[in-house]
Amino acid sequence: MKHLIPEFERWKLRYPAGFEASLTIPCLRRIQEDRGYIADSDITELVEYLGISRIQVDEAIAFYTQFTRQPLGRHHMQVCHNVSCSLRGAEGLIAHLGARLGISPGQTTPDGRFTLTTVECLASCGTAPMMMVGDAYHENLTPASVDALLEELAR
Amino acid sequence: MIEFFLDGVPMQAEEGQTVIQAARANGVDIPHFCWHPELSVPGNCRICMVEIEHDGTDPWFDISCNMPVTAGLKVLLNSELAKKIRKDTMAFITLNHPVDCGICNKSGECTLQDYHYEHNGAASLSRDPKTHATKFFPLSDRIMLDNERCIMCTLCVRFTHEVSKSHALGAVNRGDHTLIRPAEDANFNADQYSDNVIDLCPVGALLSRDLLDHSRVWYLQPTASVCPGCERGCSIDIWHRKHEWKLTALDPRMNASIDRVTPRENPAVNGLWVCNKARDLAHLFERPRAEQAMQRGAAVELSEGIAAAARLIATSRNPVALVSSWGSNEELAAFHAAFAQRLRAFVKVDHTPQPGEVLEDHLLIKPDKNPNRRGALALFPALPDDVAQALTPDTDLVLVWGEGFDGALIPDGARVIRLDAFAHDQNAGADVFIPVSLQTERSGHYTNFDGVVTAFSACFPLKPSIAHAESVFASIIAALWLTADAASVQLT
Amino acid sequence: MSDTVLTTAPLSGTKFFMNFPITATSHSLADYKARGGYQALEKALREMQPAEVTKEVSAAGLLGHGGAAFPAGRKWGVVKLGDGEPHYVCMNADEGEPGTFKDRWLLEHVPHLCLEGLIIGSYALQGRHAFIYIRGEFDLSHRRMADAIEEAYDAGLLGENILGTGYSCDVVLYRGAGSYVCGEASAMLASLEGKKGWPRNRPPRLTVKGLYQKPTVVNNVETLANVPVIISRGAVEFKKVGTPKSPGTQMISISGHIARPGVYEVEYGYPWQKFIYDDCGGMQGGATLKCIIPGGVSTKLLSAKEMEPLTLDHNSALAGGSQLGSGGMIVIADGTCMVRLAQVIQRFYHHESCGQCTPCREGMGWMERILNRIVAGGGRPEDIDRLYQISTANDGTTICSLGDSAGYACSAILDHYREEFEYFITHKRSMYDGRLVVDDPFSGTLATTGARA
Repeated sequence: MKHLIPEFERWKLRYPAGFEASLTIPCLRRIQEDRGYIADSDITELVEYLGISRIQVDEAIAFYTQFTRQPLGRHHMQVCHNVSCSLRGAEGLIAHLGARLGISPGQTTPDGRFTLTTVECLASCGTAPMMMVGDAYHENLTPASVDALLEELAR
Repeated sequence: MIEFFLDGVPMQAEEGQTVIQAARANGVDIPHFCWHPELSVPGNCRICMVEIEHDGTDPWFDISCNMPVTAGLKVLLNSELAKKIRKDTMAFITLNHPVDCGICNKSGECTLQDYHYEHNGAASLSRDPKTHATKFFPLSDRIMLDNERCIMCTLCVRFTHEVSKSHALGAVNRGDHTLIRPAEDANFNADQYSDNVIDLCPVGALLSRDLLDHSRVWYLQPTASVCPGCERGCSIDIWHRKHEWKLTALDPRMNASIDRVTPRENPAVNGLWVCNKARDLAHLFERPRAEQAMQRGAAVELSEGIAAAARLIATSRNPVALVSSWGSNEELAAFHAAFAQRLRAFVKVDHTPQPGEVLEDHLLIKPDKNPNRRGALALFPALPDDVAQALTPDTDLVLVWGEGFDGALIPDGARVIRLDAFAHDQNAGADVFIPVSLQTERSGHYTNFDGVVTAFSACFPLKPSIAHAESVFASIIAALWLTADAASVQLT
Repeated sequence: MSDTVLTTAPLSGTKFFMNFPITATSHSLADYKARGGYQALEKALREMQPAEVTKEVSAAGLLGHGGAAFPAGRKWGVVKLGDGEPHYVCMNADEGEPGTFKDRWLLEHVPHLCLEGLIIGSYALQGRHAFIYIRGEFDLSHRRMADAIEEAYDAGLLGENILGTGYSCDVVLYRGAGSYVCGEASAMLASLEGKKGWPRNRPPRLTVKGLYQKPTVVNNVETLANVPVIISRGAVEFKKVGTPKSPGTQMISISGHIARPGVYEVEYGYPWQKFIYDDCGGMQGGATLKCIIPGGVSTKLLSAKEMEPLTLDHNSALAGGSQLGSGGMIVIADGTCMVRLAQVIQRFYHHESCGQCTPCREGMGWMERILNRIVAGGGRPEDIDRLYQISTANDGTTICSLGDSAGYACSAILDHYREEFEYFITHKRSMYDGRLVVDDPFSGTLATTGARA
């Protein structure tokens, strides 16, 4: 992760003195954005760079759902299955995706293209059912719009 | 001082005390798992909840470990509501706790067991299977973690952050998947105080791997002692089989062995903790013992050996004694009384730090790995680094008390008397060898680096062929009186 | 594709926020200034002392919009000005309460308004650094707010010597990483310190010992968005909107079986029925209303009948036996299986429990397991009492209110629809075929009846 340090140094300027430990979470996000997941070497280097305890980083990675120590599929399909989405067809959406991709939630397609997970409320209840693919929200989904999206992502 | 009430009884609290602290100071122990007088307050177990009597209608209840005492506060520990909350909390704690008591080492000294009987006592309300987690996770080479038994009180985690400062432990994942785990780079093995978490753990989640299934705790009893591992001399309890539970059918050595070592609270010396060296005292004490008096390797009766030693001392012109830094104050006083006028005595170092052993740290460990060099130095000078300055060529007798002294440093032609507890090859080379007792076989005191004197008591019997060093010194002096005219023996 | 704009139908009453047309640039600094933006900041910095700002916010009776409705001015007032300690204001943009999506609207469409409120709040509390904790999943909101912050710095509205007034303030935009419990103020601060989001016991209050043990005020996005409104109009004018006990407006997020889901801004005191049937188009697909969860999943549901006489404000909701909370309204039609709904809700709480304290850590999983077993056809008569018991045992006994909330949600469903649970247990199937949808967009492709994802 060392090539990211100049960026981290710029971030530090906005924080008050003594807030180095706070950079743990933003740095982990950036590391994961860069590599696709957080590697063991990233953790060792981050601990050294920030001067924090290793256990703080281990705990943070394990606690937050957006951090992963394993590479995921190229497209991470995160489908909300919380209340409002379920009231507007989330279960059907998940089944549809599962059928189209041939995997269950928690799995990745054998070709490594798609990972499917169910997630909790993404604050998109008014445009349900929906999912997040990577960072992007896809809302008001129908079978047609899902299939079109899958086609586009498969390219 | 602030006045408050606990179940109607007026009590006094100091400024800044929480209810649980004030209650304890007044002799009332409010049930607690995660609270500890010397660690930060996480308030996660919720068992210490109390009700507060007040004028309003809404029930007021909260954890007492984080509740400041205010003037006139009316705390109810045993109201119906407080008891119900405790019962419900126990039901949650035991919900997924495996009923391992039959095979769990903590049984008999387990807070969970005690509180279950005291505050709940009912069968589980759940008809669903208990959740499962890792059962034998090696937290370190020394400690085994059972995640199913863990109640997430985080005492172990906080200990490593706040006391031992190894920052080795933490809690990963979320919800009821949370697990105590060591930091992935941390070698919890490197934490010299790791085993304190075994005592801290209120359940059987953290257990000594060495002592796993070693003995049921109710067969054991503690005897107050002092750790001889370094000059701090931490107060400890040595646990060994109770007299009424002595084994008759198995190896009798099991009846006189150190079954475990735990810290004994001593605010002046070690507070609540000990380092792992104290835990491993069995390895130190239960090395092969010297059990037979010898003259040049040939076995003799103890009395014969003592008499021979007395003759050697009587006929020497330039005798030197090397005094043990493991001797108790009593032994040292006896040695002084017996020999101060007769021998040039120097305090030697019995134990030097082993390769890789921590020399000194921020907490307890001190560089001198002997328990009573200070007590010895109060009476005798230290052996100079250049040993030849003390053991001059004209030295004709060297009395070596204790271990750790290389016989090669003794001038040729000098006779050697050795007193030691442990079997060493060089014992057979001494002109006289007398086996002596260990601190577990007698009572006495050590003086630590800070001048604090601590006591240890005997917990094991002494074999008849082994002598207490104190009585050896007295016997030798008695023999000298008999072999010399009274005028040439100086009484001190 | 992801820059979806949430539009709303027009609705009577004063609007503080939803009073301009959304365009491709309406969130920019230029457009915001053209609408009168940052005049409140100038007024505060040039004409008012920090304590006066707090006084004005208190006088306006502004209530927190994160769910607890705690008077904002009172929270600010706890911080001791001039104590020599750093003070921090933290905008809670970790909107995660199921059913609530109004903060997202504010962050995407009026980021500068939120930022202005934060800076004014920071000025009132003598803060040198302010924080925005935005949930990790809010990518667009994050980009818009990040852009807004840079625009503000460039325009001298942030940084050293703002507008030449001598007041300096830096803003840190901090992204979460996926945890509902980090919306709880003390967990948020733990997260801001770079750690796992474990809430903390009080005392000490965060306004005494918060971020890195310094006095910290945590406010919801909407609460801070109200601050420039109060400073511009003045407390007296502000109080003319809404009701005496709930002054101002509430951003309502409405979803579920409603014809026009979305974000709406209502004056407090607006008739509930009118809102549902007129302004939001009534029920989806002509269904009849069964019940409403008024303020996010953590509030007690109200049956159609209970909701009828109520108005959209905190006191009316309380009198009706519930809470308005964060205004995240979930509408549920007749024919919905409340047992399956409870299952979805408990699955959420179990997933989000941080695991620190006993009742929640053990109770959430227990409740989900019981509900899963009932839905799978293995329910037992004592399960209903058990669910009540677990709810009660989590009420007031936990470190944070996640445990309480799960209990309220579940017990309210049981209070109203006990017969559905009894039916499920006795007949090993749902009274309503396990139905959660009114119009299932995916029913054509694959039928899902009584199945859970």
